[in-house]
Amino acid sequence: MFSRSVLRSLTSDLRLSAPSISTISLPQRACLHQTASLRNAQQQSQTQSSSLNPETPLSATPRAQESIPETSIHNIIPQTRDDIPLAKQPVAPTFTSPLEVTKSLMAQLPHLVGQTPHYVTAEIHARPFLLTAGDHIRLPFLMPKVKTGDILRFNRASALGSRDFTLKGSPHIDERLFECRVRVIGVESEPLRIKEKTKRRQRHTKQARSKHRYTTMRVMDVRVKSPEELLKEGAVVIEDAADSPQIEARS
Amino acid sequence: MPVKGLRTVTTAQNGVGAFIHQCKRLDFHYCKYGGSSRGMLAFLTQTLPNFARENPQIELRVAPRPGKHPVIKGQYVNGREKAICVRNLEPIDILKKAMILKDASGDKLKRTKKPVTSINESVRGIWSPYHGDLRGV
Repeated sequence: MFSRSVLRSLTSDLRLSAPSISTISLPQRACLHQTASLRNAQQQSQTQSSSLNPETPLSATPRAQESIPETSIHNIIPQTRDDIPLAKQPVAPTFTSPLEVTKSLMAQLPHLVGQTPHYVTAEIHARPFLLTAGDHIRLPFLMPKVKTGDILRFNRASALGSRDFTLKGSPHIDERLFECRVRVIGVESEPLRIKEKTKRRQRHTKQARSKHRYTTMRVMDVRVKSPEELLKEGAVVIEDAADSPQIEARS
Repeated sequence: MPVKGLRTVTTAQNGVGAFIHQCKRLDFHYCKYGGSSRGMLAFLTQTLPNFARENPQIELRVAPRPGKHPVIKGQYVNGREKAICVRNLEPIDILKKAMILKDASGDKLKRTKKPVTSINESVRGIWSPYHGDLRGV
């Protein structure tokens, strides 16, 4: 089984994209599947020599076959991202330029990071949802192509804050400043609604029935990244401008 | 001395840390002779093995119920049960019904207006007229 870090470095080499990709995506993934990454860290040294060809499916490596009984090799249920073939892996966002943070924001950010419960105004289809960790969301629509148990990362936010400080986006905050992860819990349905449709001068009434289905989610965490983390991920500190985002303190 | 109750520090919320599928069990009932079970019989032989392989966390039971229409029943973690009658349905439609039962939370269907429900305290606190600066209009 490939280590994620090995995978990332290989894919980034393949795509010839910005070098910041692997550094950005690594720590987030690591905190999600800690056990998997731990297990992989031990195997990393062994697989690194044999993982020269990234196009081979993951289950075909000899390491993976040892841990799985022989009968179930052909129909493995993917549990972590390691089990998913490389071609079907979610693509990490490619940024053309490194994150630019103004000096004043860098100075104020520790105040926001230090004050713990955080909220984020995440936007889905341009609709704002005020979220804190542990919240239950019932989206006003059925989200396609997700399964129960999937983890999504909301990357569009218009505000991010704690009790006394708020970082407002203009109109959105850069997605590299925070992490908001949600897990798809299931699909809910509303009770059947029957609307009676009548026309004039007619005894006939038509019944319109509707029973929509909605995706439900649970917010796993809302986290603001600290300045040290941003610098480690390749953020660039720039001078203040007139329209640069700032953290507003409560008056 | 008054007895003090233990305050709960955290409440278990499915999906925050671990995620548990709410559907525990699916029962498939069919009749061997009835015409309305024809699609169900095809589903049980063709589609169900794959469905079971994709959902190892759900217990599947197949039981005959002679002389009745075919039914899928779902048992949920909260103790409730949901049943869908699948008479005269094609195997592909029966799979859709099974998916509905699989993804459901087991709660009664409710009409909700607010998309977000939270048990957390308000992050920014409740507004008070006696605190904070005076603001010009």
